Amino acid sequence: MNSFLGPLDSSGGVPPRQQTRVGAFLISAHGALARRLAMGTPPTLKFGWQTELHSQLHRETEIATLMMRATSWVADLELAPLCLTWETAWLPKLVEGVVDWSQGLLIDLAALAHAIHAAIRPAVLLPPEANAEDPFVLALRRIEFESSRLIQAQILFLKGPEFVPIRDCVNAAVERRHQQVRDLWETMLESIGVRCA
Amino acid sequence: MLFLSGGGHRIRYELRGPASGPAYVLVNGLTQYAELWSGYCDTLVAKNFRVLTFDLLGQGESDKPSLFINQDDQVAAIRTLVDLLGEGPVFLSGISFGGLIALRYAIAHGGTLAGLVQMNSFAQLSPQLLLLGNAMRTGLILGGTSYLQDLLLPMNLSDAWLGPQLNHLEAIKRQGWLINDVYALQNLMDSFLDFEALTDRLGAIRIPTMILNGEFDFLTPRSLHETLRANIPDSALIIIPHAYHAFTLEKPALTAELLANFATDVLAGKWKGGGSVWIAPEEAGGELRLFPSEYDHLRAIPVRKAVT
Repeated sequence: MNSFLGPLDSSGGVPPRQQTRVGAFLISAHGALARRLAMGTPPTLKFGWQTELHSQLHRETEIATLMMRATSWVADLELAPLCLTWETAWLPKLVEGVVDWSQGLLIDLAALAHAIHAAIRPAVLLPPEANAEDPFVLALRRIEFESSRLIQAQILFLKGPEFVPIRDCVNAAVERRHQQVRDLWETMLESIGVRCA
Repeated sequence: MLFLSGGGHRIRYELRGPASGPAYVLVNGLTQYAELWSGYCDTLVAKNFRVLTFDLLGQGESDKPSLFINQDDQVAAIRTLVDLLGEGPVFLSGISFGGLIALRYAIAHGGTLAGLVQMNSFAQLSPQLLLLGNAMRTGLILGGTSYLQDLLLPMNLSDAWLGPQLNHLEAIKRQGWLINDVYALQNLMDSFLDFEALTDRLGAIRIPTMILNGEFDFLTPRSLHETLRANIPDSALIIIPHAYHAFTLEKPALTAELLANFATDVLAGKWKGGGSVWIAPEEAGGELRLFPSEYDHLRAIPVRKAVT
């Protein structure tokens, strides 16, 4: 097991099998967020916060399409069951202790997005000698950079004053999503010989 | 690498040195991690101290709560670590944000300590510090950990240190970037920007306290240390010449020697705080000098003290 992706090829690129697994995982996670945001963003915006939803939708879509194009794909027979596991994990979940189910689903979406943007740090997997001009390398760096901006909307929402009375429920929902995302990410990385530090 | 549970969280720590020696617990600044004290461990262990270093909640390999970090949780974690050290004398030392946490600990649990060291710390947010903290948080949000590091390096370190390192800064920044997560740093910053001033409670600290402040510290200037010196009864302020905010990184040999001498003096009953003001030597091995009593130590130019 290594802490970084590799061994890199002679041009400083990540092996295609590792690219395929990492790319598929990121597309699955960010694609799930994009789908759920698309469902929640109305065709005509009526409130200021919906502007943020619209922005998030397009950033998530950008991440998914970027990975589709930047990844060197190879055939991977194990990918189908893995994708099924990931997609099942991203399904909406009710939040314990929140009576209003629509509010609970919003909290769960924000919790999942917080976890995906916080717990997945693809750029730290790159060894220092990775080719800075390689599309996959650049894409991983860009996703990590964008995630630190995108998470701000979730932080503001989840720490908002309207959730003070149910702060423990919100916190527990976010911690659960963090653990879930972290476990899936680490399991996927272990399957390609990478152990998270 | 060891872990223990404190206040419901998992804390990563390292303990080195002889089991019977007096102990130092070193508390990290905001963007630091335990390994940055390794030079201190070597120096202090060689002088028969035990040294405990750890990652605060939200840092390095300790737990990183997803949404909320409370300063009380940090204090609870230190309490667990101090309990681990047993009966011998324990000295607590913190830098910057870690100094604030150490201050809170000393107010709440001063009886468990033999002495306190404050290094470029503060008990309250001045308007400048509040605005700088907010700007740093915005920098973190917009530019990530790397941008925050770019901002802090020239603010906190001298030209004399930076000059020879200019071609190696990326490597220096890399470990901090690898180990610290943006959301966790932001939670730490939120806990630092949202706290009640401790100034009125400083009188509760009855233990010997050494306050260290870099001569050119821009982030936490002399006035913030004057609050500590004036309100902690058995304290002394020592100015580190030519040093900025991160003097623990820039002058580790000198700082480790000051820590060792302070603890040795306290244990020998020789410590005299009394609100005195001193100037540290440029390098380890030199002597402390009393700040000239007729001059105002809060000024950067030689202005005589007002007669009271």
